[in-house]
Parts: sequence; C-alpha cells; structure tokens
Amino acid sequence: MDATFLMNNLWIVVCTVLVLLMQGGFILLEAGSTRMKNAGHIAGKTVFTVGIVSLVFWAVGYGLIYGEGNAFIGFSNFFYGDATTMGEGLAGSVDFMFQLAFAAIAMTIAFGGFAERAKLVAYVIFAILFSIVIYPVIAHWIWGGGWLAGHGKQDFAGSTVVHLTGAAAALAATMILKPRIGKYNKDGSSNEIAGHNQVFTALGVLILWAGWFGFNAGSTFGVADAFFGYVALNTQLAAGAGAVGAMLMVWAVTGKADVPTTLNGALAGLVAITASCAFVEPWAAVIIGLVGGAFVFFSMRFFDKKRIDDPIFALSVHGTVGIWGTLSNGLFATPELATVGRPGLFYGGGFEQLGVQILGVVSSGLYAFVVSYIILKVMDKAMGGLRVTEEEEIMGLDLSEHGGYGYPENFNSPEKNPGA
Amino acid sequence: MFETYEEIRQWREETMASVVDDHRQLNAFHDQLMYQTLRIAKETIESEQGPPPAPFAFFLMGSAGRSEQSVWSDQDHGIIFEGSSPCQEYFLNLGAEISHGLAIAGYEKCEGNVMASNPLWCRSIESYKKQIHDWLNEASWQSLRNFSILFDSRVLDGNDDFLLKVKRESFAVLEDHTHLYSRLVDNFEFIKKGVGVFGQLLPEQRQGMKGEIHLKETAYFPYVNALRILALKKGVSAAPTLDRFEILSYSYPFIEAYENDFRELLKFRLRYKKQAESYEKIHLLPLDQLSKQDKQQLKYLIRRGQQLFAKSKSVLKEESSL
Repeated sequence: MDATFLMNNLWIVVCTVLVLLMQGGFILLEAGSTRMKNAGHIAGKTVFTVGIVSLVFWAVGYGLIYGEGNAFIGFSNFFYGDATTMGEGLAGSVDFMFQLAFAAIAMTIAFGGFAERAKLVAYVIFAILFSIVIYPVIAHWIWGGGWLAGHGKQDFAGSTVVHLTGAAAALAATMILKPRIGKYNKDGSSNEIAGHNQVFTALGVLILWAGWFGFNAGSTFGVADAFFGYVALNTQLAAGAGAVGAMLMVWAVTGKADVPTTLNGALAGLVAITASCAFVEPWAAVIIGLVGGAFVFFSMRFFDKKRIDDPIFALSVHGTVGIWGTLSNGLFATPELATVGRPGLFYGGGFEQLGVQILGVVSSGLYAFVVSYIILKVMDKAMGGLRVTEEEEIMGLDLSEHGGYGYPENFNSPEKNPGA
Repeated sequence: MFETYEEIRQWREETMASVVDDHRQLNAFHDQLMYQTLRIAKETIESEQGPPPAPFAFFLMGSAGRSEQSVWSDQDHGIIFEGSSPCQEYFLNLGAEISHGLAIAGYEKCEGNVMASNPLWCRSIESYKKQIHDWLNEASWQSLRNFSILFDSRVLDGNDDFLLKVKRESFAVLEDHTHLYSRLVDNFEFIKKGVGVFGQLLPEQRQGMKGEIHLKETAYFPYVNALRILALKKGVSAAPTLDRFEILSYSYPFIEAYENDFRELLKFRLRYKKQAESYEKIHLLPLDQLSKQDKQQLKYLIRRGQQLFAKSKSVLKEESSL
C-alpha cells in the first residue's frame, strides 16, 4: 500500500486523538473557571456529552454533513460503518473519526452557556438535538459541499463551523437560563464570581493549545508538502500573540494583568487563527492573534455590562473572536495560499472575499442562534425550566445532579436546612 | 417542680415511652419539657440580672413551631419583646441560657443558629417587622428561607399578640407584592427524590447514611411546604400543618384529600423512629427494616406529597397571575 496514503491516515488519526484530548483541556478550563461545588459536574458532563455526540454523529450527524443531498443538508451514509478504502486520500473511518472529534468540540463550547445552573437532563436533550439539527447543517453548508462552500467561504479548520456555531448556541442558552444567582445586583451592577482554580484554567488552556495542532494542522487532511508545519507555525504565533495582546490590553486598561483574561487571550488567538491558518502569512497570524486577544477583553466587558452571564467566557472567546477570525481571511488571505475563495482586501482581492466571509458569519451565526433559541425555549416550557432550583444551584450541581462532591473533603454536611 | 435541667432530662427519659405512640401527646409533652426548661432559664437570669426590662414572648420555630416534633428534635426558637433595642442584651442572655438548658434537656443546638441567643432571632416587635420588610424586599433564596422559618412559629410563653403583629405585617407586604408568592414557591421547589424511575425507593448514597431514606426531605417537606405557601396566600397565621389543613380546606378544597396522607406520614414516622437514639438518626430510615407493605405505603406517601406540592404550586401561580 502507498506510503503517502498510510502517512496521511496516520497523521489524521494522531490529530483526531489530539482534538479529542482538547476535551480534557475544556474540563480543566471550565472546572477551574467555575466554583468548587460544580467541579465534578462540569468534568463529568463533558465526558458524558462527548459520548452522546459520538453516538448521534455516528447515527445521523456524519450523513447529514457529508451524505448526498442538496445545498442545505446531506442525507445519506447514516449509521456509518464503511470499512472499505479507496487506497488514496483518507480512509472513510479515519475521516469520520476526525469529523466526530470536531462535532464534540462544538458541543462542549455550546455547553459553556449552560455552566453552573442547567439541569443535567437539559444537557442530554440538547446534546442530541444540537448534534442533529444545528451543527451538521452549518458543517454541511461550509464543509459538506453546501451553499456557502459554493461561494468560496474560507474556514480552514472551523472558526465558524465549530466555534461560532457553539458560541451562538451558548448565547441562546445563557439568555434563556438567565444569570447565575448572585451575579448581578438589583441596581444592575455585577459581582465577580471567581473561578476556583486558576492553575486548572491555565493547564486547561495549555492542553487546548497543544490539541489545537490537531485541530488546525490536521485540517490539512494529509502530509503532502508537510504543509501542516506551516499551519502549525501560524497557529503557534496567533496563540502567543493572543495571550500577549489580551494581557497588555487588560494591564493597560485596568492596571492589573488579570490572569483569566490573559488565558482567554491565548484561546482567542487560537480561535481567531482557526479559519485562516492555511491562508495567511505568519506576520498576519500575529496581527490576527493580537487583535483577537484585545477583542476578547472588550467582549468580556461588553457581555458583563449587558447582564449576559457567561461563566466561562464562551461567547467572547468562541463567538466574538470566531467572527473576527472568519472575517480576517477577507483581509489577509494571500493569492498563493487562498486555494479556496479569493485573496483578501490587503492583497488586492477587494471586498469580494470579505463579503463572502460576512455572509458566512451572519447566516451561520443566525441559524445556530435562532434554532438553538427555539429548541431551548421549547425544552424550557416542556421540562418546567432548563434551570435547577435555587436550592440546588446554591448547594451546587455536584450534589444536586450527581449525589456527591468533586471535592468531598472540602464540604461538610452539605444539606443544612435550619428550622425547616 | 424541677430545679435543674438535668431533672427535666430525667423526666423526659422516664416519660417518653408513654407518649411516643401518639403524635399529639408527644408534642404536648415536648411543650411541657421546653416550658419547664424556659421557666428555670428565666429564674436563673432573673436572679443574676433582675427582672426582664420589657414584656416578651418566647416562641418556637421549625418542627416545634408546627407541633410536629418526633422523638428527638433540635432547637429552633426566638424571643420577641416590646420596647427598644437596649433591652436586647438582657434577652440575648436569656436566649443563651434557654439554649443551654434545652441542650441539657435533650434538644440539640441548631446548627443553623436559629436560636434566641442569636441577635437575628431576638428582637423587638418593630425590629422584626423591619426585618420582614428587608427579607421580602431582598427576596434572595436565603432571605426568603429565613422568612419562612419565622413564619412557622408559635408562642410557647408570653403574649401571642407580639408574634401575630409580625405575621400580619407579613401578609400585608405579600398582598402588596404578589410576585413574592411565586418566589416563595421557587424557594421550596427542590424536593429530594424519594422514588426512582423504576418505582424503587431511593436511599442515601453518602457515607454514614448509605441504605437509609431521608424521611424528612423526601416525604415530609413537600406537605409542610405546600401548606405553608397556601397559608401565606390566605393569611393563615397558625403554624401546625394539621391546623393549616383544617383552616385552608375551605379556600382550597383539593387539599382535603391529602390531610389523611399527612396524618399517616406522621404515624409512619413515629412507628419506625420511636426507638431512635439521637437527633442525627431521627430522619433516616434504613430500608432493610421496612416490610414490603411499608415500602409500598412510603412510596405512596412520598408521591402524594409531591402531588400536593405540585397542585398547590399551580393553584398559587394561577391566583398570583390573576
């Protein structure tokens, strides 16, 4: 068998594992950014929902994205189980696994909007519905030969498909769930609900950073010309620039180099470069990362001011910066590297590619937000609320949803009910 | 007449067996034990600090306030006095003495500090009224929980009117802010699951409680909480759940069908827990001690409590939105 074929497939399997390991990064990032009483819940639900997404993706998700269909949706290859191989490109099962890992990342991002207050059963139901009617539709539009692919939309590894889609669902969720108890005062001012472990958050970011090489460099789908190295280079530069940009910005504005903002800056750099990592030059990757890092700081402040409680900053990191990353192609894509679509504004491509990128962001973002909002509203009515009761939220989801604490030694007699 | 708290404890131990099978007799006995403790505490403080600086009432809250104590119970009590705050120091000392005495007499101190030795639960009438306004205005989970604790109260010694004035103030505030009824329902919406999807009883999983069902949280609370929110809506000041059933059945005929279930639950509790050796264990029922028939009855009572709460909630939400 052809060595290149085997190398390609091996490379993508390695990248699949890297992308799957990003879930470990999310576990630490989210658990560290939230309170101790919810830590076990956040870790456990991440693993559990990856399980649900895997089953749904196998049953229908992959078929809806890559099956034969129309410009809106694919409709074949359900219950995927193709063991044959063409001897070139990627084996079907390798491609399937790589795509599955991406779908699971989008889901975990969306669940950022649920943090610290949603019922476990809401995670279960939304994981199924998101994986059928939201993610596959947008993935089909852009990657599965749908109508946006026809327009030459550039989204190399998924700034729109994965990050913006997840963030749009997170926005719908956080709007319906409302802020956590104690987040906002009656006069509209907000209180900081600090995460319980910045070391976890930092380690989570670093794991995500490393996993991102599977996410971006793996999106080359092969080892030809070792182009993945170039993609990795851009990814590294943008992540570094994001961390620096966010830290300098928060330091300059508030006088303190806030750690969570710096960590979000690194993630912002990664999210921003995801769409453009194969289409831009390294100097542009640095600019894209720096701007992403700065944006994330202002976006976090914006959502806080608007009384939209975003516990793990999913809206800012994946939403605001996901949009910036997608649009950045329209500015920085070079004629030599733009194998899809057209060069960007700064390379003489005019506004054409920028227009396509805007169309992609608006249509994908709107679809994901509106459909998520409708689904979650219906679930809210049908389930008597998506949110746990106040008493459960106060006692923490570790106990209310799972019957035991993530840190049992730190809690005594959890259910005190004086005088009742 | 008893002269020390230890004598009261001894009386408790000698007499308990004769009253333990009857809910009313048991609670009347608890009242006497606490009244005698209070009497000694008052005499002790009077001998040290002189007579009380103002008229006052000593009241009970929690299960004692509702006359629903089991064999063992912890302390939940407060003091309300006429006059101004300088009197508070005297009554706080009295509260501490009462609490000390009750602990010796067999009533464990309240872990949540709902005791007359705590300034929060030892105030003048006017101060309690202001506190009611503050709690209801804040309407946070904890402030509404405190409000509900205060509302399940009855005077053991002193002028009934003091507490009644505070309760009337509560009704007035609630009538002016009807959205608070809904917030009060939310406050008690969490009901610990007692029966699983397969119709099985769900015992505790935590260390030290494994295999035991938490009778108070799974079965008893839904009845108590349902009747409390209905009582608040209709301005019923009586605290015992059975009294609330009786008074409220005119306004809410649907609750009549549940009154007998609640009586059965009280009997069930006494039947199994009369041998309990400590307060810690009083609410926990080892499932392996229950016969098949008793398990069926318990499941039925748990489900009925949940139904009652759900119906009360929907009736109240409907009324409040009118």
